[in-house]
Amino acid sequence: MATMEMDDPKMGNKVHWEPKDLLSGVSLKQILFSNDYRYIALKGIFTAFIMLALGGMFAIIFRTELAIPDVQIMGARVYMTLMTLHGMVMVFGFLIPMVVSISYYMIPKVLGTERLLWAGAAQWSYWLLIVAAVLLIIGRPDFTWTAYAPMSTRTGNPLIWMGHVAILLVAISEFLAGAVLFRNALASKGGLKNTPLIAWAAGTIGLLFMVSTFPLGFVGFGLLSDWAEWTSVAFFDPSRGGSVKFFLYVFWTYGHPAVYLPFVPAIAIIYTIMPRFLGRPMWSYWSGVAAFVLLSIGALPIGPHHFQPLYTVAGDYQRFIQILTMLVFIPSVLHVFNWISSLFMGPIPDSARRAIPFKFMVFSIAFIVYGGATAFLNAQIAPNSDFIHNTYWIPAHFHAMFFGFAGQMAFAGIYFLYPYFTGRMYNQTLGNWHFWLWQVGLFVKITGMGVAGYLYFPRWVYDYLDISGWATTQMFITIGGYMVALGFLFFLVNLFWSAKHGKEVTGDPWPVVHDLKAAPAAQPAE
Amino acid sequence: MENALGISGPQAIMMAITASFTILGMVMLLAAMLMKARWKPSYAVEFVFVGIMLGLAWYGDLTSVKTYTAYQANLNAEERRISGNYDGLGEEAFDKVVTVIAFQWGFGFINEEEEISRNALMVKPGETVLLKIMSNDVIHGFNIPVAQITAEIDPDEKREMWIRAPDEPGQYLIQCVNYCGIGHAQMKAWLVVDAGEENNGENS
Repeated sequence: MATMEMDDPKMGNKVHWEPKDLLSGVSLKQILFSNDYRYIALKGIFTAFIMLALGGMFAIIFRTELAIPDVQIMGARVYMTLMTLHGMVMVFGFLIPMVVSISYYMIPKVLGTERLLWAGAAQWSYWLLIVAAVLLIIGRPDFTWTAYAPMSTRTGNPLIWMGHVAILLVAISEFLAGAVLFRNALASKGGLKNTPLIAWAAGTIGLLFMVSTFPLGFVGFGLLSDWAEWTSVAFFDPSRGGSVKFFLYVFWTYGHPAVYLPFVPAIAIIYTIMPRFLGRPMWSYWSGVAAFVLLSIGALPIGPHHFQPLYTVAGDYQRFIQILTMLVFIPSVLHVFNWISSLFMGPIPDSARRAIPFKFMVFSIAFIVYGGATAFLNAQIAPNSDFIHNTYWIPAHFHAMFFGFAGQMAFAGIYFLYPYFTGRMYNQTLGNWHFWLWQVGLFVKITGMGVAGYLYFPRWVYDYLDISGWATTQMFITIGGYMVALGFLFFLVNLFWSAKHGKEVTGDPWPVVHDLKAAPAAQPAE
Repeated sequence: MENALGISGPQAIMMAITASFTILGMVMLLAAMLMKARWKPSYAVEFVFVGIMLGLAWYGDLTSVKTYTAYQANLNAEERRISGNYDGLGEEAFDKVVTVIAFQWGFGFINEEEEISRNALMVKPGETVLLKIMSNDVIHGFNIPVAQITAEIDPDEKREMWIRAPDEPGQYLIQCVNYCGIGHAQMKAWLVVDAGEENNGENS
């Protein structure tokens, strides 16, 4: 186990992990169309930054609107469009492509294959997603990312078909990404016992991608068909013989696995960089493998806990679903336990304590505990159905998981890879500002949402009454949102400034140094 | 504050379990970062955790239905009697029966005399009102904050719930809480509590 490549603390000394300035002397054409895994990853990551900036901007605008009750800075139409785009852009544009791109880079490095197999498919996956994004921006569908039928076929918007086609394209794009991840996981020569955990993650999540995107593709096709009335009996529209329940089952068979699509690659980043920073293998290899396998199996049947209206799930079926949902906690507990044990089983090197990616990683573990433990309540469908489901409690949960954990892990990965992409180290001070602004801002924002849920604050409202506590919590959430935005600005400055002026790095950018005071010469570059 | 997240009431134990798990995780993480003494945890500890999770799945399922029933009972309690699901025991028990039609984007209220009011549910203070809620087109929500009801209505189905009108005359918000298209935010109506001439003496 200790000889595994990913667990090898000396991994940084391998030739192919050399820091390099990837951007100097490279043409735009090469960046856009090269099948070199480094450029595919770089392109994906950059696009994801743009999406994050867009999605974040939308959030900041409607957060400002929500800060004070009864004061309008925009109409309801604008608010709802921004809200819809925020969700779609963040999940499909930022989160999933970001962690998948990081995997595209890390898997060939960790496996030592030095090339992304089926890179053409990755290329298609990227460009199809771009087309989908363009269609969404032109068509501006107003049906939210869940596209509930028949609402998503009955809008006055004549360009609504663009939204349906975009769903179909996202499905194809994600299918291809899954195929690429799966294929590259198979390239591991370690066999069942020595395959790095990032390959286990890519293999299981790749399979899950490939299975679950079929229902999504059918949703896109079915909505388009219902809208254009291609069939005499509709699939989803009850007025023409379709069934809303059928839609719910099809959509959420994709929808629950979909929340693991950003989640599992983010977990894989932890298993890859934690041993590097600690200079020792993970606490348990098999615990990690078991958790990945269980998580993928558990993800498929439990979609019905997302249903709206939730009372469509009732009786024994409801109990079956809620028990399965609570059992899916087990693989997550295995992961978290593994990480904390790895941290605990030996001293934490000074070099790790001061590294920004390590800090992001530790705090994202804190957020997964926060969001995960509180989600135990969400799994109870009966009390959930009419109360929790429609309040801010749920946004608190998924912002903790998607942003607090997966998003922050993506940034841990970015800071970690920064020297490998630019040949230079990021600026430590700017990095610290980014780090602390995000931790405080996210905590304030997520806790504020949880409190608002507790106070029964409904979702999907653009204005609200000044019921006791509501305005205060909304103000807190908005302040948290502004802090996150400010942190992102620090990151952007760091990203561009350090690429030119950061300290150049040669050799291993992340040497493990236990006592920085005793060995100042070995201090990692800054 | 009585709701499904209440720290006292039927959900108290679940809330306590959730809180202790959050705190336990944070303490473990802090210990891993700060403690001087260090050792390699054994697999047994992880299995204990898995065992606890299995137990919690069993317990969470068991309390789920119980909590829901207790919550409904609480809304129906003699001193509160704010709102609840209709138990099908007869419509005569209610002062008023109103059919609610949710549509893109608004609510229609049809009373026993077949009079339609768009966007205003007229009631008298303290009246009990049975609401038969249906959707005309897409999935809608139906929320009256003052009566603490939130329901979702699927166009294939009908929901029956009841509320007790507030004693204080005035206008109270009714809104859709399930995104139903671009006009969702305008999908509002008023619960108008009007004492009227003859009722003034009795109820004010």
